[in-house]
Amino acid sequence: MTHAMTPSRRGLLGGGGALAALGLLAHVPGVGAAQAADAAPRAGKLKVAFLGLDTADPHRHTGSIAVQQVYVETLTSIADDGTVKPFLATGWEISPDGKRYSFTIREGVRFHNGRLLTAGDIRANAMRVRDQVRGGWLSAPMKLVESLEAPDDRTFVMTMKEPYGPLLNLLSELWIVAPESDGWAQTVRTPIGTGPFRFGRWQPNVTFEAPAFADYWQPGLPHVEAVEFSLRDIDDLSLPLRAGDLHIARVGYDKLESVRADENLEVQFMKDTTWWFWSFNNRNPRSPFNDVRVRQAVAYMLDKPAFMRFVAGQAGVVTNQMAAPGQFFWDKAMHDADRHARPNHDRARALLQEAGVDPAKTPCRIVSWQNSYSEIAVEAMRNLGFQVEHLALDDIGAQRRLGQYDWDLAPFASGPRADIFLRFIRLMSDGPNVGLWGGTRDPEFDRLVHQAIAVVDLNERRRLYLAAWQRVLDNYYTVVIGHAPEPIVNRREVTGYAPGFTWGQHRVDGGLAFAKLTARS
Amino acid sequence: MSGAALVIAPTRRAGPGLGFMLGVAILGLTLLVAVFGPSLVAADPLMQQITLRNTPPDALHWLGRDHLGRDVLARLVAGTRISLAAAFGATLLALGVGAGLGLIAEALGRWPALLVFGVFDMVRAMPSILLALTLMVALGIGMGPLVLALGIAFAPHMAVVARAAWRREAASGYVAAARVMGASPVATLFRHVVPNIAGALVTQAAIIMPRAITTESVLSFFGLGVAPETPSWGRMIAGATRFAEAAPHAVAAPVVALCVVTLGFALVGDRLRLALDPLREQRR
Repeated sequence: MTHAMTPSRRGLLGGGGALAALGLLAHVPGVGAAQAADAAPRAGKLKVAFLGLDTADPHRHTGSIAVQQVYVETLTSIADDGTVKPFLATGWEISPDGKRYSFTIREGVRFHNGRLLTAGDIRANAMRVRDQVRGGWLSAPMKLVESLEAPDDRTFVMTMKEPYGPLLNLLSELWIVAPESDGWAQTVRTPIGTGPFRFGRWQPNVTFEAPAFADYWQPGLPHVEAVEFSLRDIDDLSLPLRAGDLHIARVGYDKLESVRADENLEVQFMKDTTWWFWSFNNRNPRSPFNDVRVRQAVAYMLDKPAFMRFVAGQAGVVTNQMAAPGQFFWDKAMHDADRHARPNHDRARALLQEAGVDPAKTPCRIVSWQNSYSEIAVEAMRNLGFQVEHLALDDIGAQRRLGQYDWDLAPFASGPRADIFLRFIRLMSDGPNVGLWGGTRDPEFDRLVHQAIAVVDLNERRRLYLAAWQRVLDNYYTVVIGHAPEPIVNRREVTGYAPGFTWGQHRVDGGLAFAKLTARS
Repeated sequence: MSGAALVIAPTRRAGPGLGFMLGVAILGLTLLVAVFGPSLVAADPLMQQITLRNTPPDALHWLGRDHLGRDVLARLVAGTRISLAAAFGATLLALGVGAGLGLIAEALGRWPALLVFGVFDMVRAMPSILLALTLMVALGIGMGPLVLALGIAFAPHMAVVARAAWRREAASGYVAAARVMGASPVATLFRHVVPNIAGALVTQAAIIMPRAITTESVLSFFGLGVAPETPSWGRMIAGATRFAEAAPHAVAAPVVALCVVTLGFALVGDRLRLALDPLREQRR
């Protein structure tokens, strides 16, 4: 199987359909466009705000990829339709048994210290992640690595113990850092990458400034002199956008109306979706929430359409799956069979009666972040008659509390991911950060997902994923409410920028490197 | 020593004044709302109607609906009880811990006083709101932790007032007389001194109450007070702030209530301070 500068079939079938249906596809500059870019001098400093930067070490990050992706790059890149595209690799070959991946490394790519990138650098990074980094998305595939080889400067070979379908997508998060970077042996403090911007001045939780890299391998890029990321935890970024203090930022759905009324601002959407769900405690469920009839009753109290209108307005869509409507791994028949597409309070109460549950005597502990949509869950449970205790916590507090598994219901949301497997892995027994999904332990679910990622045929993989998801539906591990793409707002003086499939702000054919400032704000 | 306590009558002043009357009226009305309001307002303060979110005031919903379609008036009334209860509980706790510990330590002698007030001074070095924030992070959210955090945060303020009053009274002849008659320091404190400094403590309580209400609101605004759906004024402000452009009524109602009640306490507290301070006339 050979892939060289051609999108995969999966990608063609992937997110594109749904997003086209939503009318969200935006102009995406291509590599060719970059190469043909005019030789105009770089101008202006782009001021942006997405999510934070938790560490300077790209291999050890636990938070957002929005910031670091401007100074480090990867072998593969996720395109706007969810396809995998070549990035630092110009192409790859996969052996027929799906175990051996041979990558051709792009020529003429320089690190920020001027040294040329070689296959040996890729191997060194893969070895570092395999041997030194615990946790994170890459820990599962790295456990399956049999060998990492660099037979010459332009060839990197990765051999797996068993076929691993999501590997190419996941490699879009294996950031390549020069091994001579300060702190390589422990924690990288000053990463030397190959990105269009260099690692500049970083004040944690305040700001990060990345100056342009003059010898970037894509001619003419980046278009601006520097990018300044605001790392402050600001609740409403529409205000600095309107004031001209920021050029691009994420903005909540509740602010879209006022943003759209401002002629200086333009609203775009990310290409993959955020999805909202209610999880039950699956690892240590308390009575009566271990009874599937009670879980079903709770699901009948959910007013999915109203919920999605509340959290995302017109951008929200209701469904019962982790894939958004229209995406390849989404199933229409399963969607149409959703018994909870509309609320049914009478059925909910009847189910509780059938299960012999007196909600007035039953405590229900709800753990959530501090947000408004969790209050909808609280009200639904209160309407059903339960004695509700609501613990609304910050991110770390919620993670900690969820890990104690002394709760009953958890209403949460999760953002875009480079591959659908990164959603399925959250429901696997040994997945990372599984608390939000109730710490599911279902050997049959695990087996089906393992099988899915091991098959090469995409239709078979889809069938297995759907079989696994049917178990989630039948056992009410997690009840999906719906999806919506995250809004990203830019000032009109920014041109050439479009948000991508994930939070990453640099990809082979788009992102901050392609953004121009046509006027100074 | 036995017999009736020696009580110095507080200074009598001329009429209560318009400000005091206004303050009493505000607080009286607030108390009535807190006690009877929830049974007089038909709407459920927790009931959501998401499709009617942020709708402006109308004939049925006098203060409109908030971002989750809840009746703002019903939440404001329910919030009055919650905010007042939290502030009252915290003030009582501050009185008990601050004045109680402070006075006992003073009565027991130099070293206990040094120890207790050393701790109080350390606590007092941190602004009350910052201390309350820190305590809430440690204790978790909810009404109990909230009252505890506010009470601890304001206890040192009550303690220093109690110490000043104690030292003033300790120099009085009636305290010396009680000690000569064989009364223990603690007995002298509770039987003779406390009745004479009650005015100063009540005045301080009246000053702390509005601060506790506003601090509760700030904590709730930061998500550290009561649970999000609980209609305290701070939670109402926090929830409605994001939608201030679409639904200004939802944020204005609790803000106005907070200002008016704080004003009421300030007017009453100021007058109490003038009326109940027995030494004020001497200083004049």
